[in-house]
Amino acid sequence: MIVTDHDEPRDAGRIPAGLPADASLRRVPLACNEELLMLIVPLPDGNDGESAPNPVRITETVTAWAAEVDPRDFTSLPVITVPLYGCHVVWKPGQAAVVGPVSRLELLTTALSDFASCEGELRQLEQRCVDLVATVEEDAPHAFEFEGRAVSRRGTLASRFREAVAVRGRLAVLAPAAHAPPVHPPTLASQLGERLRDRTRLAERHEFAVDRAELAERLYEACGQRISEFGIAQRQMALEWAIVVLLVIQTALLVVDLLSRGAAT
Amino acid sequence: MSAWLADSSGKLPRVAIVGGGPGGLFTAWHLEQRTAVPLSLTIFEATARLGGKVCTASFASADIQYEAGAAELYDYSPVDVDPLRELVQQLGLPTVAIGGSAVFVAGRSIANLDDLGDVGGASARREFANFDIRSRSAMTPADFYESGSDHAGDAVAAGRFEPALDGIGCGKARRYVDVMIHSDLATEAGETSCGYGLQNYLMNDPAYMQLYRIPGGNEQLMQAVAGRLAADVRLNAAVTAVGTGPNGALQLQFRSGERHLVEDFDTVILALPMDALKRVRFTDTALADAMRQHVEHHDHPAHYLRVSVLLDRPVPVLPGDDAYVMLDAFGGTCLYVESACDPCATNGVLGWLIGGTAAVEMASLTDDALVATVLDSLPPPLAICRDRVMEARVHRWTNAVSALPGGWSRLPVDRRHRPSRAHSRFFVVGDYLYDSTLNGVLDSAEHVAGWVVAEHASGPGTMLMDRDRATMEALQ
Repeated sequence: MIVTDHDEPRDAGRIPAGLPADASLRRVPLACNEELLMLIVPLPDGNDGESAPNPVRITETVTAWAAEVDPRDFTSLPVITVPLYGCHVVWKPGQAAVVGPVSRLELLTTALSDFASCEGELRQLEQRCVDLVATVEEDAPHAFEFEGRAVSRRGTLASRFREAVAVRGRLAVLAPAAHAPPVHPPTLASQLGERLRDRTRLAERHEFAVDRAELAERLYEACGQRISEFGIAQRQMALEWAIVVLLVIQTALLVVDLLSRGAAT
Repeated sequence: MSAWLADSSGKLPRVAIVGGGPGGLFTAWHLEQRTAVPLSLTIFEATARLGGKVCTASFASADIQYEAGAAELYDYSPVDVDPLRELVQQLGLPTVAIGGSAVFVAGRSIANLDDLGDVGGASARREFANFDIRSRSAMTPADFYESGSDHAGDAVAAGRFEPALDGIGCGKARRYVDVMIHSDLATEAGETSCGYGLQNYLMNDPAYMQLYRIPGGNEQLMQAVAGRLAADVRLNAAVTAVGTGPNGALQLQFRSGERHLVEDFDTVILALPMDALKRVRFTDTALADAMRQHVEHHDHPAHYLRVSVLLDRPVPVLPGDDAYVMLDAFGGTCLYVESACDPCATNGVLGWLIGGTAAVEMASLTDDALVATVLDSLPPPLAICRDRVMEARVHRWTNAVSALPGGWSRLPVDRRHRPSRAHSRFFVVGDYLYDSTLNGVLDSAEHVAGWVVAEHASGPGTMLMDRDRATMEALQ
């Protein structure tokens, strides 16, 4: 799911002090139209990272880096740290650090980007669900009865229904990634994905989002039905009035005809 | 009131359960839950505590608990209904999922296919993947779930497990699998069946089964069950003999303190592990013959040693945040970081589960020698714990479980639980009849309890159901 990536030049304090010289920063564009700022710290291969120069201090440094640098205002998710068999991954929305043997970095960054894309899209959908649910109380009366004075809101309700269906559609596409069963036999990438999914409660969040989108969809579907019924009723009323007018005209003509016949005789 | 009760001159049906371990307690639980008529239920336990192999003990130097017996419970709910999981929920006990992927071979952690590829190259990775595919093809999650029942398919194949392992063409991949499953098997691959071996490999796949424990100790399950029983529980009452009394009732001889007592019962259920079952004397010839055959069929002992160590500070986080790792020491050992699930732990607790031949050989060592030996097996991430030991405890569970539950050929479930056709109210319950798990012993208890309740409700002379009669005739 990585579209492209490019190395960030090692500049102006972006990489925290105390990390190995070959540590680098990358800005990885994600499929969810966000960007992941990734700090990559290679360790020498072998012995599960034990031979690296003070791996404990390195992991502490990158964790502090992730906790301090906050390019966006994401407050709902804390910094998540995942120790993973000689590797160490720190993640929060928009920002991540990977510490591990050189031979594992490509696997880890790919898995991390996949997860970040999935989480990013879910987070966006969650926000759209929040926006939808915020209008539910306001629009709920229209799901029971649609009145003439609300005709001007018809377009708004229709667009909200389309939004609810679109959100549900995206959530359905996301479902296999959010609810993927653990892989066996595991790979390092699958283990990282599973732990991140677990720690960020991706499956539960997805279910809550689906519930919210479903609520909005049901509401606006009912609104659509009431609007449709209102339109039919309006047309029926116009037809009835036309019939009444025609009957009145017919009666008037009949009266005129009778009067003219009476005058002639 | 049923006809049976009317014939008993107003006396309640007397049911004796011999054994206060999981089998006995679960049987009593199901009997009390299911019966529509009052029963006089008595549980005989030879020791001073209930719970058997589900044993949570405390260290002396700090009020910190450790699992001295069963370290984890198995959750089959990913496949189908899990009665044990439901019972735990029904009793209101909290649970926490546990897991672990790392297998330490020659000091090197292998936690995934990438690690295996690093250690053994592409051939190890390929051979292991092929073994995994063969195993899963031979036993689906549904086969795994049904493995103890009469519906079990051919997947639970006869034949030894060793040839299946020999099919792994790469030595390093073979060693990895050996170490991964050895402590769960509690025996050597040549001593058990292909079906049971595959179960113990496939239990590592979350699609087949998951693991959990009860925070505060797994023994809480046994205490919660025991606390809800109305049965008469007799501790320190060791049953020595079972026979038929002069009035036709089943007769128990038991020792209570210094006294030797005899008591009659309408129904007797032996819920004993195999080594205890072998010590019971059967005074009735037909019953003795039937039980001799039963023991011969099911006696495939497996062994455990549990060594638990209290540390003066929390254990360093394991790679991958695992709750346990597998070590290649002692043929394959599971090392639990029991304090891993408690973020507020002030001390660390490590628990070794040594199984199979190594457990028998090491059982003769003194506690101090055992502790010193296991501490030498600590993997690199935990080696620092060697100097932090405050206290150590050893529990020997030799002959405590079955290496071949169900025997080489599985008998029909009814026949497993009622060894003597002539003694229609004599039953046995045990994990060795199913799969050597707590889930298995619960299934066994449920089967017998349902049978007993149905028979007591339907009256005397109807004990042999048509289904059972047909089975017996087919077997003869």
